[in-house]
Amino acid sequence: MKNRLKVLRAERDWSQGDLAERLKVSRQSVNAIETGKYDPSLPLAFRIADLFDLSIEEIFLRD
Amino acid sequence: MAIDAPTRRYFRRMVAVSAIYVAAIFAASSIIPDDAKATPLTVAIALVPGIAVLAFIWAIGSFLAELTDEYLRFLEVRKALIATAMTLALTATWGILEIYTDVPRIEIFWVFPLWCIGLGVGALVNKLTLGDGGCP
Repeated sequence: MKNRLKVLRAERDWSQGDLAERLKVSRQSVNAIETGKYDPSLPLAFRIADLFDLSIEEIFLRD
Repeated sequence: MAIDAPTRRYFRRMVAVSAIYVAAIFAASSIIPDDAKATPLTVAIALVPGIAVLAFIWAIGSFLAELTDEYLRFLEVRKALIATAMTLALTATWGILEIYTDVPRIEIFWVFPLWCIGLGVGALVNKLTLGDGGCP
């Protein structure tokens, strides 16, 4: 699944480590989600959406 | 990178369980003479590494339950599945060969060490396909 995580992170000048810390996950997780290698669970997708104050659909895009 | 609490506990449990497993095998090889009969004593001695294997799996299960990072948990589950698939496929194949051909017999004891090697293979597959090997 495609997503806008990298762009949203760059807009806030956050590193992958910064985002990982805010989400309480590993940096590997952020990297895997950003690169589309791993689709997060619904609870984690909600946490990501809440962090950016956006809806899930505004971050994760249908293939 | 700092090691989180579940990983630290996992390390501690694995070191303890591995030490018991190895010690039990050495004890068995020195206490039980070759071609000894199966007696309550030899069965009791052989049960120790068996129980250590159960503890090994319990340590992995506890680690999976305690991991809060779902991606790392996914990597660990993949590793265990790859190890299981590799072990079952190899033992099934060799088992058929043992029954019907003259290949050398391999002692069933080696199934668990083979599964442990499979965990390493699983980490390698994770690394090659996802870029991350997983936890230790």
